Amino acid sequence: MAASAAVRSAVSLTQRFVRVSPDCSICPLYRLNACTGATDGFTAPSRRLRTSIGVCQSGDSSSPEEEERVVNVVYIDRCGQRIPVQARAGENALHLAHKHGVDLEGACEASLACSTCHVYVSSEHYEKLPEPEEREDDMLDMAPMLQENSRLGCQIVLTPELDGMELTLPKVTRNFYVDGHVPKPH
Amino acid sequence: LKLIKSRELEKDEPRPLYMDFQATTPMDPRVLDAMLPYQVNYYGNPHSRTHAYGWESESAMEKARKQVADLIGADPREIVFTSGATESNNMSIKGVARFYKAKKKHIVTTQTEHKCVLDSCRIMEAEGFDVTYLPVKNNGLIDLKQLEETIRPDTSLVSIMTVNNEIGVKQPIKEIGHLCRSKNVFFHTDAAQAVGKIPINVNDWKVDLMSISGHKLYGPKGIGALYLRRRPRIRIEPLQSGGGQERGLRSGTVPTPLAVGLGAACEIAQQELEYDHKHVTVLANRLVQKIMAAIPDVVLNGDPDQRYPGCINLSFAYVEGESLLMALKDVALSSGSACTSASLEPSYVLRAIGTDEDLAHSSIRFGIGRFTTEDEVDYTVEKCVQQVKRLREMSPLWEMVQEGIDIKSIKWTQH
Repeated sequence: MAASAAVRSAVSLTQRFVRVSPDCSICPLYRLNACTGATDGFTAPSRRLRTSIGVCQSGDSSSPEEEERVVNVVYIDRCGQRIPVQARAGENALHLAHKHGVDLEGACEASLACSTCHVYVSSEHYEKLPEPEEREDDMLDMAPMLQENSRLGCQIVLTPELDGMELTLPKVTRNFYVDGHVPKPH
Repeated sequence: LKLIKSRELEKDEPRPLYMDFQATTPMDPRVLDAMLPYQVNYYGNPHSRTHAYGWESESAMEKARKQVADLIGADPREIVFTSGATESNNMSIKGVARFYKAKKKHIVTTQTEHKCVLDSCRIMEAEGFDVTYLPVKNNGLIDLKQLEETIRPDTSLVSIMTVNNEIGVKQPIKEIGHLCRSKNVFFHTDAAQAVGKIPINVNDWKVDLMSISGHKLYGPKGIGALYLRRRPRIRIEPLQSGGGQERGLRSGTVPTPLAVGLGAACEIAQQELEYDHKHVTVLANRLVQKIMAAIPDVVLNGDPDQRYPGCINLSFAYVEGESLLMALKDVALSSGSACTSASLEPSYVLRAIGTDEDLAHSSIRFGIGRFTTEDEVDYTVEKCVQQVKRLREMSPLWEMVQEGIDIKSIKWTQH
């Protein structure tokens, strides 16, 4: 946790100076050889020099209209840790999770072809989400440990009325990571 | 049932007539024809995605799924293959109750259900759910008003079988389905004895879950299906975990030959439903009328109109059921249902419809099906009448009744 916090502050510093591609050599994750290697539109010269999880996008904007569209979401990861994040309306819950280092796997990259981004939505906010379309329900059927408040994270689009929503990650996904393996986000 | 000594038939001994179609049915030869190629030639695993053996097996399985779906008016995606109606019933009750247990804690069923439903409900009681076992009227049908009053805001499931396997009574499923939908409660029906015998449409009836058994409709043993509605979607907690086959609800390789057999049986049943029903009705009426005309004091258990004609449960007063079965040794019959025959208790279904204990012990179930002939029925009637008369000659109770003594006034001493 401390490492990702360090990344977030370090890379946001980098943002101000580097527009196109971040300098991975100063990133503590890279130096500790613990970079999870996600890219959000950046192609690095070599495979090992992949950018860290897309924090390297422009994230700050502090104009007044944008303030109203801020949505606070809390991710509760598989170990029970709470990760509060601030997002903007219109963002996708899966991409948001990747941006903040939450290990929500999205194997099919939000194309409604898997169930790995399965999350439990807090009950007060579950009703506020639109009804799932049939294809989402079909994919959700394949996820283990379903509950009444289950949804696919890649289909949750944040709106201001979802402020305060808590998304809990289920203990398992359809992929068998019984050895503790954590998949890298794409 | 230790009284009926079980032994295998001798070499040239003629086989008894089969009149126990509720216990199981012989496989239709056309079903066997459909299954054989998938046992020895097209033997691939339907979940193998990488080669032709898998693809052909999968397409046969999907074709079978469509055949099953067409029989009940469902979409093929709503059918899950299981090992039989017992597994389907277990999946429905335990699955629905456990999935919705956060807010819903109540299950409603009847006292005349099959043992697998009742046992599943007892297990759910042990897990902390409330279960209401609805009583039935003397004709075997449930009281709709009583059902409506029993449904609570925290009821998750109502489970009522379509056709009873012991007395053949047909419940008002359409009305029950509409009632449950209006109260937002899931409705499961065990249709093992009804599928392929009476017309079924899960959308007209507003059924959410339905259990189907292969070997009750001239299909193979060891296969069944569960219908799960997609709109509005019902979810269950799977009983069998594994690689996620059958939409994650029932992991495990689907047995292609058995599934193909079930599909073929369903298609045949759909085509021949009307003819079979007429055939069975004619024979059933013949049996009941002939017996009732020949001997007095015979009671038909269950409603005379709201029933499936092929399941006839008759109580012969003053005659012990087991001894009648032994006397009718060249007809294969049963008293009560096959699943209760191993235990010593008399049928709880007959108790639920208010039959006195002595009559409950004297009941025989006659099952008529697609392959029963008129000669078989006539032979059964003749033998039955003959043996009942003989046994009544020996019966002290019958003597007393003939002399005019009221049996009910006798005080039996307790041993």
